[in-house]
Amino acid sequence: MNALNTLHVGLRSQNRRQLNILGVIKQYSSTRGQDIIIPKRIHRSPTDILKALASTVKSDPTAPHYKYHDDPYLTPISNVAKRSFALSKESGRKAAHWIRAQNSELFQHKVAYPPIQAFYPQLVYDDNSEVDEEALKKVIDDVLVSDAIRVFQLLQKKGQSISESTKQALLELLCFYNCEDTLPEDMIEERWFRHGGWYKAKQRKTWKDNALAEKVFNSLDSPGSAAYCALLQGMTRFYQVDRAWKLYKETQERGIDLTRDAFNSLIRVVCYLREGNENRWQLIQELLTAMAKQNIAPNIGTLNAVLEAISSMGPQKHVKTYALRALAELRHVGVQPSLATYYFLLITFCKERGPVSSILVDIMDAIEGQTFSIKDPKDTFFFVTAMDICRNHLQNIDLAHRVNKLLHTGNNYDLIGDSFKESIYYRHYFVLLCNMEPLEVFMEYYNKLVPHIYIPEPAVMEEVIRAVDMNGAAEYFPKLWSDMVIFDHTERVNNVAAILSGMVRNKPQPSSDLTEKFAVIAWNAWEKLEVSVDGEKYRQFRWTGEMLGDIMLLCLRYERFDQARRVLTKLEKNQNSIVGVPNIEALQLFTDMCISRNKITEALECIQYSADAGFPETGKLAQQLSGAVELNTEQLMRLTDIVGQEVIQSPNSASVAEQ
Amino acid sequence: MSFAGLVNRWSRCFFQNTYAYKYTERRGVAISERYSQQPETKYEGTEEFRVLDLKPKKTAVRRKLRKKQEVMPPRTSLMPVDQDWGSVWPGPRTFHPASVPLPLRQGYKEKDAPPGKFGNAELMKIPNFLHLTPPVITRQCEALKSFCSAWPQGLETDAKCEESFPLEIITSDYCHSSPDIRDPLARIVTLKVKLGRLPLNTHAKDKLLRLVGERYNPENDVLTIMTDRCPLRQQNLDYALYLLTTLFYESWKIEAWESEKSEADMEYYDWDASASRKNVMGLLSWKPDQNAAEMSADAMDLDIKEFKEAVSKIMNEGEEEYTLSRYKEEVKKLFSLQDISSKV
Repeated sequence: MNALNTLHVGLRSQNRRQLNILGVIKQYSSTRGQDIIIPKRIHRSPTDILKALASTVKSDPTAPHYKYHDDPYLTPISNVAKRSFALSKESGRKAAHWIRAQNSELFQHKVAYPPIQAFYPQLVYDDNSEVDEEALKKVIDDVLVSDAIRVFQLLQKKGQSISESTKQALLELLCFYNCEDTLPEDMIEERWFRHGGWYKAKQRKTWKDNALAEKVFNSLDSPGSAAYCALLQGMTRFYQVDRAWKLYKETQERGIDLTRDAFNSLIRVVCYLREGNENRWQLIQELLTAMAKQNIAPNIGTLNAVLEAISSMGPQKHVKTYALRALAELRHVGVQPSLATYYFLLITFCKERGPVSSILVDIMDAIEGQTFSIKDPKDTFFFVTAMDICRNHLQNIDLAHRVNKLLHTGNNYDLIGDSFKESIYYRHYFVLLCNMEPLEVFMEYYNKLVPHIYIPEPAVMEEVIRAVDMNGAAEYFPKLWSDMVIFDHTERVNNVAAILSGMVRNKPQPSSDLTEKFAVIAWNAWEKLEVSVDGEKYRQFRWTGEMLGDIMLLCLRYERFDQARRVLTKLEKNQNSIVGVPNIEALQLFTDMCISRNKITEALECIQYSADAGFPETGKLAQQLSGAVELNTEQLMRLTDIVGQEVIQSPNSASVAEQ
Repeated sequence: MSFAGLVNRWSRCFFQNTYAYKYTERRGVAISERYSQQPETKYEGTEEFRVLDLKPKKTAVRRKLRKKQEVMPPRTSLMPVDQDWGSVWPGPRTFHPASVPLPLRQGYKEKDAPPGKFGNAELMKIPNFLHLTPPVITRQCEALKSFCSAWPQGLETDAKCEESFPLEIITSDYCHSSPDIRDPLARIVTLKVKLGRLPLNTHAKDKLLRLVGERYNPENDVLTIMTDRCPLRQQNLDYALYLLTTLFYESWKIEAWESEKSEADMEYYDWDASASRKNVMGLLSWKPDQNAAEMSADAMDLDIKEFKEAVSKIMNEGEEEYTLSRYKEEVKKLFSLQDISSKV
C-alpha cells in the first residue's frame, strides 16, 4: 500500500506533476536485489567503426582498381585503355562542372545542411561585377588565381584601396602559382596520369617577368621581409635565378631579414648561380651562415635543398663527401630526414657511370618498417629510384624485396607518386624478379601483378618469354601468348619470334595437350599477322624465315597439314621479301608428312623451295622421296631438274644440291 | 586528342607514303606515281591516251573494320581456391557472375535445365549475402570487439532487464549518402511499458484501457505509445512520456459522469445485473407479483451458480461449441429435463 499512498499524494498535488512516471513504476515494484553496474560507453569518432571494418578487407589480386567497372568487357587491360577510361570518367565530371557553370540559374537549390560550398555554382567576375576587398580575400582563400587577378584589376580600376595584408596575401598567391591557374584538387585522375615529363620541363625558366606579381610587389608601400621572401621564393620556384639573386643582394643591403623558406629556396638553385663545385659549395655555406646569423634553425626543407643542390653538382669525388657532411651536420642539429633526402643521396651516390655504391643498403637499414607521410614534393621519387638502383646498379633481389615491403607498409603506397612512376617502379621490379628469382616464384608475382597493377611493356614481355624458354617451362606459353594478345604486343616481331622459337625448342610430352595449344597459338599468330600485312599497309611487320618455319613446325607436330602447306606456299612465293630461312627440321617433317599422306606435288614443292633456299639436305630429302614413293615420269623429271640425276639414282652417295 | 594519338596518325601517313613508294618502285613504275594510292589501271606503262572519266565508278566503300576487341575470360578462372573471399566481396553487391566462382543455376524453364548464372536476371534480383560468410562475420566481430564494453552485471537475463528497465523506448536512425543526412522518419518515438508495472485498480485499468484503445496488447500486457506528431525526436519523446503520465493519472480520477455507466457500456458481462437473471428468477419462483430482480438466489435455495457461469462464459468468451454445449446442459438441468434417448 506504500505505492498507493504515494499515488494519493501525487494525485493531490496534481498541479505540480513532478512525480515522475518512471519513479512511480519503480516504486511500485522494486525488488532490486543485486546492484547493476553499467560500464561507460567506449568513445569512438564518427568513422572509427568504418575504419575497423575496412581493416578486415585485404587486397584482391584478380580485381581491377575500384575506379574501373568490374566486368570482363569493361575492365581495361592495357595501359592506353586504363588511362583513357580513367580520364574519360573525369572528363565526364568536368563536363558536368561545365554544364553547371553554364546553366547556373538552374542549380540554385540548396539541399544540404550544413551547406556544401562545392555544390554551388562559382561566381564569375566580369567587368560589371560589384567587388570589394572581402571578395578579393575570399577568392585568394579559395585559390582561384585568375579570378583573383580579375578582381584585383577591377578594384584597381575603381580606385578602391586594398589593405597591405590583402596585398601580401595576393602577392604570395601570385608568386606561388606564377599568375597561372592550377589543376583543381578534385581532378585526381588527371593529376595521377600527369606524366614525368612535367617535372623535366619545369627545369627551365618559366617565371613571368614584369607580370602582375612584380607589379603588386612594387605597389606595396614598404615591402617588408614577408613581401621580399614571397617574391624571392616565387622567382626561385620558377627558375628566374638571376633576378632572385639580385633581390637577395637587395635584402642583404637593406638589412631585411629573410625567412627559412626563402633561404631554402635559394639554396636549392645554387647550381644555377655558380659554376664549379667548389664555388657552389662555398655559396651553400655562405647561405647557411647567413641563416645562422639570423638565428633560424634549419629544417627538413633546408636539408633537402642542400642535398638537391649537391645532387646536381656532377660526378666528382668531393661531391659525395659534401653530401655526407651536410647530412651528418643537419642530423646533429635535429633534422629528421624524409624520403626526399634519401632520394637525393641515392642520385648523388649511385650515378650511372660511376663506382657502385651500396648506400641503399644503409638507407634501407635505417628506414625499414617505418611509415612515412609526404613532407617534400620530391618524396615520391624515392621508391622509383630505389628500385631502379636495385635493378641496374646493384642487381640485388633481396634489397628489392625490402624496398617493396617498405612500400606496402602502412600508408607508404601513397608516396608512389603518379601512374608513370608506378609503372616504372614495377617494371624494374618485374625485370629483376624475372632475372633473379626461380621461375615458379616469378610466375607467382606475375599472376599477382599482371594485369591490374602492372602491364608489362613489350621489351619486358620478351625477357619473360626468354626466361620461360630457358627454364623449359612450356606450360606457361599459352598464358603468355594470351596475355600478349590482350596487351596488344602481337605486332612486335621480336616477341612473336621469341615465343615461337620457345615453343619449338621446348617440345612438349605427347600426353599433354600442349601440342595442340601450341599449334593453335602458332596458327593464331599467323592469322593475326597475315591479316595485318595485307589489311593495314602502314604496319612495319616483316616475316622472317625462322618464324614461318616455326609456325610450320608447330602445325606439323599437331598434324595440321593444310595450315603448314599454306605457310610453305607463302615462303615459296615471297622468297625475295622474307629474310632468312626456316629450320630444316620443318621441311623435313613436312616432307615426311607428304610422304605418309601421299601428296607428291606438295613434297616436290617443298624440295624445290629447299633447293632454292640452298639447304644442303635437299638431296637427302629427294632421295627419301624417291625411295619411299612411286613417282611417275613427270614427277621424276621434275625431281631430277631440282637435284640432279646422280642423287636420285645413287641414294647412298652424299650429294650437293645443284642449280 | 592525346599526344600518342597524334603520333600514330603522323606515322600512319608517313608509312603509307613510304609503302606506296616501295610498292610502285618494285613494279618498276615511275617515281611520280608515289602519291597515287589508287590501284593501277590498264593505262600504266602504255602509250595509250587516257580516257576522261567524268563519273568515276563508285567502288564499294569498305567500312573500316573495327578490330575485334580481345576480351579477358571472367576472373573466376583466375581465382585461387584458397583466396580470401571477404576481400573479393567486401560489401553488399548485386550478383555479378564473372566475379563469383560458383556454378549457380536459378530459374525455371519448361524443357531445359535451370538457366546458368550469366545473364540471369533472377540471380540479380534476389538479395545475396555473399558479403557475410561466416569467416567474414567472425573477422568483423573481432575488429569491432574493441568498441564494445562488457554487458552490465546484474542484467544477465531478460527478466532482470525488464525488472530494472520497465520502460522501453524505440527510435530509429537513418543513414544517407546524399547532401542531406536528415530523414523525416527519424523523429518517430515508440514507448512500450507493461501495465502490470503500473499501480492500477480495476477501475483505473478499465479506464486506461478505454482511453488507450488499440494500443494495448492483451497477449503480453504491453501498452505501446507511438508518437510522430512533433518534428523532432526529443519533442516526440517528451510527448510520449507526457501521454503516459497523463493516462496514468487520468485513469485514477473518477469523474462525476462515470456513475452513468449503463449495462451497454460494461466491458464485461455481469450476470447478476442482467436480464438473464431476471428471467431465470422469475421462472423459478413464478410468483407474478414479485419483483424477480430483488430475489436473491439464496432465498430460492437454488443452485444457479453453474447456470450463471455458463451464461457468463458465452457472453464473455464468445459463442463456441464448448460454451454453447455447457449452456444447453445447464438449461436442461434447470428445467430438470432429461434426455429422451436415455429413457427409451
